[in-house]
Amino acid sequence: MSDIRLENLSKDFGSFRAVENVNLEIKSGELFSFLGPSGCGKTTLLRMLAGFEIPNTGKIQIGNKDITQLPAYRRQVNTIFQNYSLFPHMSVFDNVAFPLKIRKQPASTIKSSVLEMLSLVKMEDQHAKYPDQLSGGQKQRVAIARALINKPEVLLLDEPLAALDLKLRQHMLIELMNIHDLVGITFIYVTHDQGEAMSISDRVAVMNQGKIIQSGPPDDIYERPSSIFSAYFIGETNLISGTVSQVHDDYIELKCQIDKDEFLELDSTMHFTPLPGKELTMSLRPEKIAISRSKPRTQDDINFVRGTIEDILYLGTHTQYIVRVGKLRIRVFSQHKRVYFDEKALDWEEPVWLFWHDSDTWLIDEVASDTSPSGSDLEIASPYSRAVKKLGNQRI
Amino acid sequence: MNDLELKAAARRNRNSWILTAPALLWLTVFFLIPYLIVVVYSFLTPDIYEVKFRLSLTSYLDVVSSAYLRSLFLAFKLAFQTTAICLLIGYPVAYFIARSSEKIKNTLLILIIIPFWTNLIIRIFSWRIFLSYNGVLNDTLMRIGLISSPLEIMRTDLAVILVMVYVYLPYMILPLYSVLEKIDFTLLQAAMDLGANEAKAYFKVTLPLSAEGIFAGSILVFIPALGAYLIPQLVGNQQSLYIGQIITYKIKNIPRNWPLASALSLVLLFLVALLLVLMFTAYKRRKDKLKGLVA
Ligand SMILES: Nc1ncnc2c1ncn2[C@@H]1O[C@H](COP(=O)(O)OP(=O)(O)O)[C@@H](O)[C@H]1O
Ligand SMILES: [Mg+2]
Repeated sequence: MSDIRLENLSKDFGSFRAVENVNLEIKSGELFSFLGPSGCGKTTLLRMLAGFEIPNTGKIQIGNKDITQLPAYRRQVNTIFQNYSLFPHMSVFDNVAFPLKIRKQPASTIKSSVLEMLSLVKMEDQHAKYPDQLSGGQKQRVAIARALINKPEVLLLDEPLAALDLKLRQHMLIELMNIHDLVGITFIYVTHDQGEAMSISDRVAVMNQGKIIQSGPPDDIYERPSSIFSAYFIGETNLISGTVSQVHDDYIELKCQIDKDEFLELDSTMHFTPLPGKELTMSLRPEKIAISRSKPRTQDDINFVRGTIEDILYLGTHTQYIVRVGKLRIRVFSQHKRVYFDEKALDWEEPVWLFWHDSDTWLIDEVASDTSPSGSDLEIASPYSRAVKKLGNQRI
Repeated sequence: MNDLELKAAARRNRNSWILTAPALLWLTVFFLIPYLIVVVYSFLTPDIYEVKFRLSLTSYLDVVSSAYLRSLFLAFKLAFQTTAICLLIGYPVAYFIARSSEKIKNTLLILIIIPFWTNLIIRIFSWRIFLSYNGVLNDTLMRIGLISSPLEIMRTDLAVILVMVYVYLPYMILPLYSVLEKIDFTLLQAAMDLGANEAKAYFKVTLPLSAEGIFAGSILVFIPALGAYLIPQLVGNQQSLYIGQIITYKIKNIPRNWPLASALSLVLLFLVALLLVLMFTAYKRRKDKLKGLVA
């Protein structure tokens, strides 16, 4: 089959390394995403696959064929460009027919294939229009039809939805998945939007600064991040640093400093066995934490923490609380279900209990440093914190 | 459109009349009225110094006589050659500038505009010095040993074309540049992505998208080149007299023939106008087609 294999792929621009030593295998027919902040090298990687950049080192294979040095026009790889790149001097029909005309197909074949392709993207009645007369979503559809008409082995999509508004984006996302199911070829999708990547992909590779940080199915990356970066970049999380104080059979005890001489004792299940005294970071997703005014019944495998509500943000599907625990600020998502609520709604400055199951945490064998998102003062991510701004700046 | 919008549009129209009035007045006094005088003169009878105010058609009959037709033909040939050579040289130059980095771009554009700072006659005279029998060109070629005796370039048709191309090249490059610069070059990548090699991508995408610049540049070169007088006069010879020269001679050399000069000017004007109408029609049809008005 035509699996794609990337081996030790690197690309330098002058002394700047845009893509660093990428090793990956993408299976034939997979919908694979590269996810990372803007500037992390996603487009460069895609351009190497398309044939617009020649890597400095490494190899690109499709099936058994080494295509590393092949010019773009001889690859069975087509691209949906971020700005669609429709030819403004050609009608929708001629745009879609372009790849066939280049290959000098007979006019009758061209006509039937183009109309078939246009009906796949629901644009058959617009074939006489020119790109100027189309909306963003329609241009997108034409670009998809044009890229698929030659039946490439791989379709590359570079932030294809970035220019569309939210509703259309959600709609096109579903449509892209449907088209992928229909044509069955490999889609490689590049985005800085974790929501898009999570919902559309079979597998995701998280990128940062030219390197692949982690790759795997979306739920794997979300539930079991291998680094502070992936924990932080995918979804929202609380990162709490601590020192291993005791190691038991199936859980460890973690001692976390939350003030000058105040400590939290937290338990966590583990997927590796650290030695006592080791410094670690614990990732705790906001939706896994329960919040209550009254102290719940004590249980062995539940962690309890007492704090004060500092901020409340009503978000429709859920409410976000920022709870101060010592110098930590812990973010909690609480859904509006009657059973989870106290009689009276929680209020600013109210003391509350936070609690979560031992197994709802995830340990990362990495210490939050100044450069990592959580920051040295253990400040927990909030939309307004420095940490988020750091990453947020890089997003478009 | 509703009532209010119609009124607003009418107001805008009235205002635009006021704004264009000075220009209209200028054009009427210095362009339209002189042209009417030329039209009237073309139907008068020539005299040695001035004209006799007696109606006659002799000028137009003279125009059709072979000597003047040859000059007209020569002028068209020269304009055509100049335009073609300017396009061939100017297109790659404009393309190169358009794709250069911002800094290099500005430097190159200034280099193209710099010749305009020097008076045209001075520039033509420097060409004369450059091309003359004992001039810089012959001197250099002999010194390198490429030729043993000086070339006769001055006062040939070649010299005329050379200087014409030199003078009119910027008028080709600038409009071409402004169109090429706006072309989204990712379109070329898209074409190559879809299977076109460099040449095909160029002919299917870049060339059609630069048509507007080719059109504008060609008009800007062709039309002034048609009436060329100064350059053929200063570097050309008396065997190839262009229409511009004939018109000038008939105006200033005695015996004068102002009605003939007027008739020749009007015939030239008519031909140019005809050409422009044809070209604009073709252009507009293309543009409408682009807009999808004609499917
Ligand atoms: N042609 C180039 N010349 C120099 N630097 C480049 C070039 N293309 C990309 N870069 C740099 O490489 C890095 C990665 O860029 P890119 O692949 O476009 O990132 P992304 O698509 O993830 O936003 C950026 O820092 C960018 O400035
Ligand atoms: Mg990009």
